[in-house]
Amino acid sequence: MQRVGVILDYALFGATAQMRYTEPVATLDADVLVAVASADRLDVLGGIYEFCAAKGYRPEGEAIRVGAWPTQFVPAFSPLTQEAMEQAETADFEGVAFRVVRADHLAVIALSVGRAKDLTRILALLESGSVSRDAIKSLAARYDLAKAWQRFEWKFLND
Amino acid sequence: MTDLEQMLERQAQWQKSRQSLTWPEKIRMAEQVRESVRQLRAQPRPTIPEPPTR
Repeated sequence: MQRVGVILDYALFGATAQMRYTEPVATLDADVLVAVASADRLDVLGGIYEFCAAKGYRPEGEAIRVGAWPTQFVPAFSPLTQEAMEQAETADFEGVAFRVVRADHLAVIALSVGRAKDLTRILALLESGSVSRDAIKSLAARYDLAKAWQRFEWKFLND
Repeated sequence: MTDLEQMLERQAQWQKSRQSLTWPEKIRMAEQVRESVRQLRAQPRPTIPEPPTR
């Protein structure tokens, strides 16, 4: 998709990206941040759906099934997710190179969303040693999430 | 260390050992449990009875 210009950039995030750092977690789908070439279209993801349909990948609810995984394409919706996508790492998945969001960005995206499962993700990332409290604090501060991080620390990391 | 502490310690060690699997191995494990998770989530949630009022 990137090669033919349907998307400009992408990176895996959410639970499937988290598993690069932590123990396996239960999840139903794979989430991919994307920067689309035609961001001015009303249906921002239309190009991706058209490309996938032409390749025989069928829609499944809000996702598109790619192999075993229903895959949700999410436009990089904020400066934080934009940075997470741009600074993603390239990881090897059985011989295939994948862009994957870094642990610190995963943690701060989770902090910004704030559901119980997102907060659990932050704890799992901290527990795995893939990101430090200082790294999260500093990134959170850059994205106006200092108070959210303070609340999280007080609630869950109050030694 | 009590029996319970030993059990929790063993569980923690087991979880840590899963963390050191490769990323593809962990994704495959998640794939294997996904159908069960989907079925569990599709089930209606049990209702929690209201506490008795005085």
